[in-house]
Amino acid sequence: MASQIPLRAALAGALSLAFCLPALAQQPAPPASPPAWAQGRSADQANSPLAPHAPRLTATPAAQIPVSSIRLPEGFKAELWASGMPGARMMARGEDGTIYVGTRTIGRVYAVKDENGTRTPRVLAQRLDQPNGVAVRNGSLYVIAINKVLRFDNIAQNPNVEPVDMTAAFNLPTEAHHGWKFAAFGPDGKLYMNIGVPCNVCTFDENKHALIVRFNPDGSGREVVGQGVRNSVGFDWRPGTNVLYASNNARDWAGNDTPEDTLHRLARMGEHHGFPYCSGNAWQDPGHTGRKCSEFPAPVALLGPHTAPLGMRFYTGTMFPEAYRGRAFIARHGSWNRDTKSGFDVVTVTLNEDGTQGKVEPFLTGLLNTADNSFSGRPTDVLVMPDGALLVSDEQTGAIYRISYQR
Amino acid sequence: MALASSFSAARAQDAERGQALAAERNCMACHGERGVSAMENIPSLAGQQAQFITLQLVLFREGLRDVPPMEPAVEGLTDTQLEDLAAYFSSLPHAVPPDRARRNVGAYNNGAALSNRLRCGVCHLPNLTGQNQVPRIAGQREDFLAQTLRAYRDDKRHGTDTQMNAAVHGLSDAQINALAHYIAQR
Repeated sequence: MASQIPLRAALAGALSLAFCLPALAQQPAPPASPPAWAQGRSADQANSPLAPHAPRLTATPAAQIPVSSIRLPEGFKAELWASGMPGARMMARGEDGTIYVGTRTIGRVYAVKDENGTRTPRVLAQRLDQPNGVAVRNGSLYVIAINKVLRFDNIAQNPNVEPVDMTAAFNLPTEAHHGWKFAAFGPDGKLYMNIGVPCNVCTFDENKHALIVRFNPDGSGREVVGQGVRNSVGFDWRPGTNVLYASNNARDWAGNDTPEDTLHRLARMGEHHGFPYCSGNAWQDPGHTGRKCSEFPAPVALLGPHTAPLGMRFYTGTMFPEAYRGRAFIARHGSWNRDTKSGFDVVTVTLNEDGTQGKVEPFLTGLLNTADNSFSGRPTDVLVMPDGALLVSDEQTGAIYRISYQR
Repeated sequence: MALASSFSAARAQDAERGQALAAERNCMACHGERGVSAMENIPSLAGQQAQFITLQLVLFREGLRDVPPMEPAVEGLTDTQLEDLAAYFSSLPHAVPPDRARRNVGAYNNGAALSNRLRCGVCHLPNLTGQNQVPRIAGQREDFLAQTLRAYRDDKRHGTDTQMNAAVHGLSDAQINALAHYIAQR
């Protein structure tokens, strides 16, 4: 959540306000505006102790990583694939098999590669403003921070290459809140990313925020792929159809059980998916009644209130049993805005034939302790490996788990 | 029980290593002999939340929080060393600074009302002793509190998130001074 660019933007805003209304400086101060995550809180929630969980920015020793707590369906096995990467979030695989790992608060990008069975991560880039987005195409690694795009060319051959700064070409918004990006190249060779809403819930420019957008790899040709998607931090294309599916985080402070987080099908270019008017299971936001739920496509699946579904990929491997092939695997980072914690797991979504409806089932559990309402890990992204194993990143422990299946 | 006692024994060892490291890095020259600062604009660290200290030390080391004197202080330290330092300072007994001013009842009451309005106690807890990544602020140096609140208000500092920037947005210098006085007197 730390960021410098948005602070500058906020400062510029404060300065321009001061120039327009110089008398204000002498007036009693206005009431403090709540932090973005706390907007939309009702008066009776003002003293709620619920707040986003603290990040851990130091390495968790391998012996303390809760891999033995992980529970999976029969025949599946979890092992610790790599660790020592505080804040590990989104993953992308380079052509030489290197896994690139983005982060938020700690500002780093890691690179980790299997060499004769050992995997020692290194810090590839640092001092960035929430470099959550990582994507690879034609040998180039793209790193997307809040308002920065870096391209590392031929990185497999030249692991210490200086990046090309593509920031000006992409010209991304500078807002910190929900400004971190998920990024992936589509089957059309374009770079897709989310642009989240800079608040919990608010009135905003619907052509600038709550979007999934795509660019040509050089940053030109920006197009809106989907509107009204509050904040998607994971998406993928359904194999065989090239239709985009995206996980989405619904608003907070509307109750423990409303609205549900969702999985969306972005079948039509530029289509509006409801936020801020409609979220979850046709839940009309009482503060935003200008448009009705009937105007928007229903989500494909409901993923639970406040569970924070992030990384999401379709299973394209053959290691897992037939029943799992083609399913969407979704890492649920886990709730903070809910008295009884939920999520902290990986679920699968099995789509029906036309892809408009999905069935949600648990897959990876055991990191949430319901007895004392605590958690020991936060699954953040999933990635299918060439051998069909599934990598799962855990931001809380700075680890990557490998999930495999053996009959 | 065995687990709990081995855990606290481990913490004691961390704090011991942290004490040696703090001496080596000369932390006490500014932060005070037992972590209670007698130096203007330098925070006391005694009894501070360990998780808060660790996170701030990481931000210094990673170049994400800009306080020049802290650069050489944390240079080259491993994650474990940062955690050891945090274990040490959090284990020291909190004490108010030796040069704490006398209470100004008017400023104290104004600060208390503001603290209530801004709901400082939701994250810092009602007694302002903090929790996890949220720092203990009760009994901190008044000059340091005022300087820090101004830095948040003026967007010159942020923490591991931007919550404090929003919480103190738009406060006047007089309001910040009252708030700092009240918190320092807690």
